[in-house]
Amino acid sequence: MKRRIANRKYKVPFLPEKRIEDQAQLLLDEWAEAHAPIAEPPVPIEEILELHLGLDFCLADLRTELGHPDVLGGIWFGDRLIKVDQSLDPSIQPKLLGRYRFTLAHEVGHWRLHRQHLMDDPSARSLFEANCEPAFVQRAGDDAPEEFQANAFASRALMPQQMVYEAWAQWRGSHDPVAIADLDVGDYHADRQANEQVAMERFCKPLAREFDVSAQAMRIRLEKIELLVKEVQPRLFS
Amino acid sequence: MADPRKVFGDLLRATRIAKGYTLRKFAEMADMSPTYLSQVEQGKTDRPPTAERVRTMAELLGQNADEWTAIAGRIPDDLTDIITGEPQAMPELLRAAKGLTADELRKLTEQIREQQKDGGKQE
Repeated sequence: MKRRIANRKYKVPFLPEKRIEDQAQLLLDEWAEAHAPIAEPPVPIEEILELHLGLDFCLADLRTELGHPDVLGGIWFGDRLIKVDQSLDPSIQPKLLGRYRFTLAHEVGHWRLHRQHLMDDPSARSLFEANCEPAFVQRAGDDAPEEFQANAFASRALMPQQMVYEAWAQWRGSHDPVAIADLDVGDYHADRQANEQVAMERFCKPLAREFDVSAQAMRIRLEKIELLVKEVQPRLFS
Repeated sequence: MADPRKVFGDLLRATRIAKGYTLRKFAEMADMSPTYLSQVEQGKTDRPPTAERVRTMAELLGQNADEWTAIAGRIPDDLTDIITGEPQAMPELLRAAKGLTADELRKLTEQIREQQKDGGKQE
């Protein structure tokens, strides 16, 4: 029997990015306290999900189960269950390891950012019963506020700012940002911005591999923390 | 009565977590895909693990392989050979032993082992 995909009747409040970053860091700190400090990438998100948070986790044919061809993952609060679509199984598609880990971190984001809010909502009570409907379903390209927040959480949990800075310095030999203008931007697409993204993602692949994330996720993170910039600003005292 | 596939799946998952292995890590150790291991743990596979696979998983997790094979609803491969090797006497022995307590079965096993040892000496 096909289950209906989660609808958007449950709204989540606006969360500033700083709050999301703090929540991601708090989770990593909890892991460090209970197990061992995360000295270097990759962040052990699978261990955090299953061994620290005690969530049930499985790979399944979610696309058939939920009746949508672009489903990546989902979370069932009542069953304490996270499911990821089997198309992301990294043992079958090793290139998708980064996508797989990001999907897990995204669902953990819902668990940490949104569960309490919905627990306080009397109209969402059914989400906390056994055999419940999924509270959130992650679909490719979905930019609803709750999905944006869960993505922001995943990005910060898998690529903590300090860890990225350190890995960058080790890789580049300094903390200096790199400007897109310094990259070899090809002519693959008609759109200049798309070409720049291809160039940036090709450039940041070594770092993406170190963190076990996709080149796209690493590019977005590096842009966010301004290690990849449009152009390097001249320094006052150089 | 609970579905034996679900009972086995729950036991497998709880033991795996207690031993500190993630789904992907344990799947790699047991030489299977995480998707297949998920299906086994959820009791939702049309291809339940073979006796040999159950044995491998039990041994990796430090559990009694025969007990796990029975919980998984499988018969250890060597038992099939043992029964078909003595197609009349062996089923008769098993039927006669049915209903004995675990303690009584252990004593009987000991007696058989002693007998085999004595038989070996006489030869």
